[in-house]
Amino acid sequence: MSARTHSLFRLAVCLMGLSVGCAAAPDPALLKRGAAVYRQDCVRCHGPKGEGVARKHDEPLTGDRSVEALATYIQRTMPEDDPGSCSAEDSAAVAAYIHDAFYSPEARAKLFPVRKELQRLTHRQFQESVADLLAGFGKVQQATPTGGLNAEYWQSKGMNKKERSALKRTDAFVDVDYGTNSPTDDITADQFSVAWSGSLWAPESGTYEFRLRTPNGARLYVNSDLASGDANRRDDSDAKRQNATIDLWVSSGGQMREATAAVPLLGGRSYPLRVDFFKFKETNASVRLEWRPPHGAWAVVPPQVLSTNASTSWVVVSTPFPADDSSHGYARGTAVSKAWLDAVSRASVEVAGVIEGRLGSLTGSREGATNRVAALKGFAGTLAERAWRRPLSAKERASVVDGFFAKGVAPETALKRAVLRILTSPEFLYPGLEGRRDDAAVAGQLALALWDSLPDEALRTAALEGQLKTADQIRTQATRMLSDPRARAKLTGFFHHWLKLEEATDISKDPKTYPGFDEAVVSDLRWSLETFLEHVVWSERSDYRELLQADYLYLNPRLAAFYGAKVPGDAGFVPVKFDASQRAGVLTHPLLLAAFSYHRSSSPIHRGVFLTRNVLGRTLRPPPMAIEFMDDRFDPSLTMREKVTELTGKASCMGCHATINPLGFSLEHFDAVGRFRTVDNAKPVNATAEYTTADGQVVRLSGARDVANHAAESPEARRAFVKQLFQHTWKQAPMAFAPDLLGRLDAQFLRDSHHIQRLWIEIAVAGVTEGKETKR
Amino acid sequence: MNVLKHQRLDRRGFVRDLGLAAAAVPFLAGLPSLNAARTKRPPQRIVFIFTPNGTVPPLFWPDAEGPHSTFKRILAPLEPFKDRVLTIQGLCNRVRGDGDGHMRGMSCLLTGIELFPGNIQGGSDTPAGWASGPSIDQELGRFLQTRAETRTRFATLDLGVAVPNRADPWTRWSYAGPNQPVAPVSDPYQVFERMFGQMKDQESLGSVLDGVRADLKRAGKNLGKEDRALLEKHTTFVREMERELKEARRQKLARPAPALEPGVSTDNDDMPRSSVMQSDLLVNAFANDMTRVASLQYTNSVGQARMKWIGVDEGHHSLSHDPDLNEGSQEKLAKINVWFAEQIAALAKKLQETPEPGGHGTLLDHTTLLWTNELGKGNSHTLENIPFVLVGGGLGFRSGRAVKLDLTPHNRLWMALAHAVGNEVKAFGNPKFCDKGPLGLA
Repeated sequence: MSARTHSLFRLAVCLMGLSVGCAAAPDPALLKRGAAVYRQDCVRCHGPKGEGVARKHDEPLTGDRSVEALATYIQRTMPEDDPGSCSAEDSAAVAAYIHDAFYSPEARAKLFPVRKELQRLTHRQFQESVADLLAGFGKVQQATPTGGLNAEYWQSKGMNKKERSALKRTDAFVDVDYGTNSPTDDITADQFSVAWSGSLWAPESGTYEFRLRTPNGARLYVNSDLASGDANRRDDSDAKRQNATIDLWVSSGGQMREATAAVPLLGGRSYPLRVDFFKFKETNASVRLEWRPPHGAWAVVPPQVLSTNASTSWVVVSTPFPADDSSHGYARGTAVSKAWLDAVSRASVEVAGVIEGRLGSLTGSREGATNRVAALKGFAGTLAERAWRRPLSAKERASVVDGFFAKGVAPETALKRAVLRILTSPEFLYPGLEGRRDDAAVAGQLALALWDSLPDEALRTAALEGQLKTADQIRTQATRMLSDPRARAKLTGFFHHWLKLEEATDISKDPKTYPGFDEAVVSDLRWSLETFLEHVVWSERSDYRELLQADYLYLNPRLAAFYGAKVPGDAGFVPVKFDASQRAGVLTHPLLLAAFSYHRSSSPIHRGVFLTRNVLGRTLRPPPMAIEFMDDRFDPSLTMREKVTELTGKASCMGCHATINPLGFSLEHFDAVGRFRTVDNAKPVNATAEYTTADGQVVRLSGARDVANHAAESPEARRAFVKQLFQHTWKQAPMAFAPDLLGRLDAQFLRDSHHIQRLWIEIAVAGVTEGKETKR
Repeated sequence: MNVLKHQRLDRRGFVRDLGLAAAAVPFLAGLPSLNAARTKRPPQRIVFIFTPNGTVPPLFWPDAEGPHSTFKRILAPLEPFKDRVLTIQGLCNRVRGDGDGHMRGMSCLLTGIELFPGNIQGGSDTPAGWASGPSIDQELGRFLQTRAETRTRFATLDLGVAVPNRADPWTRWSYAGPNQPVAPVSDPYQVFERMFGQMKDQESLGSVLDGVRADLKRAGKNLGKEDRALLEKHTTFVREMERELKEARRQKLARPAPALEPGVSTDNDDMPRSSVMQSDLLVNAFANDMTRVASLQYTNSVGQARMKWIGVDEGHHSLSHDPDLNEGSQEKLAKINVWFAEQIAALAKKLQETPEPGGHGTLLDHTTLLWTNELGKGNSHTLENIPFVLVGGGLGFRSGRAVKLDLTPHNRLWMALAHAVGNEVKAFGNPKFCDKGPLGLA
């Protein structure tokens, strides 16, 4: 790279920055002087509005540094052909000018006012809406985990005939090897059967793999309702069963057999689960049910996701969708593409197919019955009103329902077309389409904000009764909605995003350096972090600061052994207190420490970037050049901190790394798998650092605890948290609703003792009420 | 530990069998070329047809070897095709080992190989599991898919008529490999969906796009410029989709999808209707060259069809246990088997009436129907002298005659089929039944 391009990059890198909140109005004389300096010395490379000039400097001058920080930087480095020639006064003036004219977020908001954009459903919103839309035609039943499944043990007689129920109990999981024995005294060892049934809780959305292993006969059913009249029995001589998710009913060859199946599930919902098992004269008996959840490892389906209570099944759209735009840091539906329309069409066909297969239970009518057409029309009309989140006009009903039921068209075909018509219509796909402000629209907005889905019956009723007009009425609904599992699922999604867990898909480490850090440990760590988040967020205090400052980790026996702690041998995940100077909330959770590490060593850069952006809410430009960290290029006696210091020492790097490195170094007490350490490469760990905040204050850090305390008290970190949660909720920036909305929400959050649930309710309420005032 | 890995099971397992997993194929990807120009070698097709519980030998087998005279009662419905019929008497299912006669009769019929020991207990013998090798239909399908000139959309179409919805060695005769039973589809609508679903879905989708465009237009009126632009973009894609759907519709099938009678169930009483629908679909699949190999399984081994429509109220299997001296039962068994023969004759007739697309003659000239049974005779449960009736042409076998063999392993017939399509296997099924090579039928 030539020296010239290099120096151009330097400017780009260094003008990253950060806001300082509300400063006093700048002195007009200072701005005038700054403008003059800018025109004379800066405009040729940066353009009249800081937009950049092609081939000179094409990065726009934007950021959130304070005026003071900008001034210091300009004086030190500008102009690029004669750095240092700009006087302190001129630098201060030009900093004040650009800050006010186009550099700061406030200036940019004035220059380019953010607008509430029309959005289509995201992939997640489409899936959630469809699941709730169809479930709404029956009785919905969810089961929270109880720690196991119902088990019923039977004595068999003759071939595959249940003779006598010998034992009923709860089993924590399905992984049993009876050998040549019988499961209980009351049953003979040569032939018996077991039926396990209950529900499975899906912690997050995605494809779940299941694996059944047995040398005997077994079937697995996940998320399928059993056909009516299909009792829990092994004698299937005439049962018209639902197709099993996995069918290993016939043992063959006396060998262990296994089969896997992939099942798409939506997070935050429970699904019917059943395993039927039988032994008939084989020598041995065993059966094991395992799963691999998204991001997880193969493991026996654990008790913490099992329930003895029943659930209804859900329709989960499995058609793949193109990824939603996440360029602003949250998935949103601001763009349409051919691939998206294609996916929507295919998904609608998929849903129409599912409906066709369940017409009996959905419409209460039979093929050929005299009430068939009326029943299908009635169903389609209700489907349209729920999917479109509002009543239909007579004209619309004629067009999207009745019109398809023409002469010569089978009523089932007509219904299929009506379903396609309803689901591919912009009325379903763009929830804010009409720009309506009535109660039905409010219900639609709330359901989308807190559930990514459609209004439930209570919301629809509230809308019908005119109970969604005032902020208090809306708050009442939002509060109710928060206790629904769908709200938890959406908030879980937010934390995954906040902590970059979506990207943490491969956390494997060098097995020689970190023996024992295997897939199972990683899977447990994920569960540990989820449990922690769940515990903090849904506790009574629901305190944002506890996320950062907690001095405990959730560990099970496997994790405890690995991280040098003690828990009772039969415990699931229990909170384990650590030395508060060592562990601090999510910052030192081993999963994140490992995720932000290299294969063999810690990575202060990745950890620092994560802290800078996600926890402290500062902005960083992408690095001007990609520099790969190559461990073997360094003097082998250096510590990680020394290597990073050497690597990022250039001024062109330090624009960002002056912020990143101190934060990253403060976590150097943790190795690449998140274990506490005092020595790195045979030298004592140095985790002290000086971090300069956006407005130029220097914070002395001596470890993770100091960073956590700083983040917990930092207004900018808190504001960033509020902003990110708002965006996750509404898929739009708060600025688009009202210029001061973020400030108001932040102030309320502070008054509410950093109460996350209350913050979320206020975000939901504000999104509706502010929206009402905003003209399109 | 030796672990048998089963095929990955998809929840929408049926889609898997499309050969084009719906999820992997763009919605509007044109249908696979249904009648692509191929090299001019005439196609060879075969349909394996199963009916259960043995036959009534005196009313079935021709008395003399050589050219047929008038068929006896059970084969009488095939009289119009007499010169295309080849009967082979004397073939035996020699496979022994685990499983009762019905289980081995069924699951070793097309496979010619032993069952694994397992947990399914029959009326006698030891419990058994699945067959330990592939069946001949799947092997032929697999082989034809390896060659560009014989490759089709589906390797095989595996159909059933009133096959109960359960999987065990009595209900499965087709195997993709050891421990891999293939489930026949008894629901004609499901078969239709598999063959034409994509097209029908496209048609349905096409029918709603007008309305969607109207919605988009109306909604756009209430919006500002930027938001309207999003909907306009959406509209552009809808138009594009409309155009492509029209294009897809122009890709005509050689033969249009058959119109299926609505409301037919897979239950016993609907057997006559679902039999007709399945054979219509089969003929259509051949005419559109969607596959070259099919199986059609009427009920199952030990099947209890109650053919009330021909005045037989008792279950087929129960009747088949009655002694030869029970004239009433023998008469009913004859009626049942005549009905089956009529189904085969009807299928042959449809094939005969359908011209070979892009070629000479009719579909029947290039299609062999192979009708067989899991037993020779019901009340003896014999696996000897199992009925084998071939109708049609294309394999180079000399027909219009009765062949009589002396207790010959049926594996050798499967070898002959493989050789006839150019797959010169050294053995099929258990090799110890194959040492005399393929049956000479030319």
